[in-house]
Amino acid sequence: MAIDVSDYGQLSAHELRQRLEEAEETLRAIREGEVDALMVRNPRSEDEVFTLEGDASYYAFMEAMDLGAAAFDESNRLLYANKALRELLRLPEDNVDASHLSNALDEEARFLVSGLMKEARSAKKTGEIRVFVGKDELHLLVTAAPLHIGANRGLAVTFTDITAKVRAAAAEASERAAHSIIASANEAVVVCDVDGVVTHANAAVASIYAGNPVGRVFGEVIPLTLPDTTGLLQASDVIALAIAGTSVQGIEALAPDAPRVRDLLLSAAPLRVGSDKVSGCVITMVDLSQRKAAEKQQLLLMGELDHRVKNTLALVLSICKRTASTEETVQGFQVAFSGRIQALAATHNLLADRSWSSISIAEVVNAELDPFVSRNQTRLSVGGLDALVMPRAAIALGLVIHELATNAVKYGALSREGGRVHVLVSKKPDDAFLGIEWVESGGPTVSPPSKRGFGQTVITRSLQYSANGGAEIDYPAEGVRCRIRIPEEDLVRS
Amino acid sequence: MQDQTNAADSSEPLRLVLYVAGQTPKSMAAIANLERICAENMPGKYVVEVIDLKKTPQLAREHNILAIPTLVRQLPTPMRKIIGDLSDLEKVLVHLKVGE
Repeated sequence: MAIDVSDYGQLSAHELRQRLEEAEETLRAIREGEVDALMVRNPRSEDEVFTLEGDASYYAFMEAMDLGAAAFDESNRLLYANKALRELLRLPEDNVDASHLSNALDEEARFLVSGLMKEARSAKKTGEIRVFVGKDELHLLVTAAPLHIGANRGLAVTFTDITAKVRAAAAEASERAAHSIIASANEAVVVCDVDGVVTHANAAVASIYAGNPVGRVFGEVIPLTLPDTTGLLQASDVIALAIAGTSVQGIEALAPDAPRVRDLLLSAAPLRVGSDKVSGCVITMVDLSQRKAAEKQQLLLMGELDHRVKNTLALVLSICKRTASTEETVQGFQVAFSGRIQALAATHNLLADRSWSSISIAEVVNAELDPFVSRNQTRLSVGGLDALVMPRAAIALGLVIHELATNAVKYGALSREGGRVHVLVSKKPDDAFLGIEWVESGGPTVSPPSKRGFGQTVITRSLQYSANGGAEIDYPAEGVRCRIRIPEEDLVRS
Repeated sequence: MQDQTNAADSSEPLRLVLYVAGQTPKSMAAIANLERICAENMPGKYVVEVIDLKKTPQLAREHNILAIPTLVRQLPTPMRKIIGDLSDLEKVLVHLKVGE
């Protein structure tokens, strides 16, 4: 206190008595709360006003501020919680203590706040907590800082409601995520407002509309026709339905003006943001080009299959008739007929495995010879059979090889130990065909057949569907020779 | 500062100095109480000077002020001090010796 004691020795008894009365009066006034400030001398020996604890104007200021504030003493006893904090956490109006504040926080928030208060004894600390007040979730920024109240040390803790800020940040993050989801979608996604005006369009929309559709009416920039509907439902009705709150899914649509993708699967759903009220619609358009192409391919294949079945049945009928006319016994007919049908089936299997595309000559030859030479691999040599042929040539070649192999097993090189068959491919630049030589050796002496059987007919005629195809069979004494010509139009250029 | 004088009075007026500390409640109350007491009990017989020690703390030394608010009767001598917000009218009037 600013009591000047230096001149006490020079004061008269009256003056000293007066000073003493003054001192007593001062103490009484302080004790009875008649004064709210004192003059003190600071460390620089200057006089200054010290406002006493419980200063009403300071208290009024604290009560009036928006920020939730609390003061704690050294033992973490709650000295004061201002009005803003009491309202924020719904604390009682009077006699608030630390337990009220503690009960307003859940375990996680309590742990964080007590940690902050512990660390804030030396320096200011800040953290974020989440509290539930009733059903409301609040996000609070808590700051704890050392507080000196006269000679006492304590803590000032403020609670700032940052719920709106946290929610805004979450909404922004959510919006960013929604944008990236739309942008990353493979399907074309267009968002329209209630007037059908495009507000968002992702990158995939570029395959349907070359420009920027945003700000323009969807139906004008991307005109669609719905070929599968009767005409009662149009694209504009689909959008209107979605804006009215009804989802429409999976309608095939055609975009005649689209730069790349014209066949589309159109869906439209109402857009609801935040409330139940529809604020527009989300239109997705899936590229159907590949599916349409697959459907076309399927139709083509079905036609092809129909054609082939008819051809095969005609071929089987012909084989049956001709085999019956050349075989003298039922048993002979059975063996010959089933062998030829099996030969046909072997090639069919190969072609089916390749979806009726091209197959190699080696595959056809191996499939047909397997039943005869699998036990006699050393008796067969093949070379240069890698060329690919179309199904028509493969079926014919299969039948020819089957007949040659059957003959060889019955009468030729494969009917005797030591007999051999060579199958070689030759192609001269000027030839309009691929030549395959079938050469038997080491078998019994050959003589030409006395009558022309169906087998011979199969060999010579099967490839004659083209002027460039065919086969000739010779019967020199040392072994049968056959020259087969695969028409060049049925060869697949590698 | 707040001064109120009445130069027309021939006798020597009371010369009062009120020491306050900004806008504290007791300071504000002291100012209001003094204004009322002077106006009602000694119209035209006083000169009041109000000193805000928050602005000029060095002026506290002149009258050896410790507690605020404090009213000092500078004149007539001897000097008298009344500590507090001057809410006790009787006590204030006794100290100022008004009516003697």
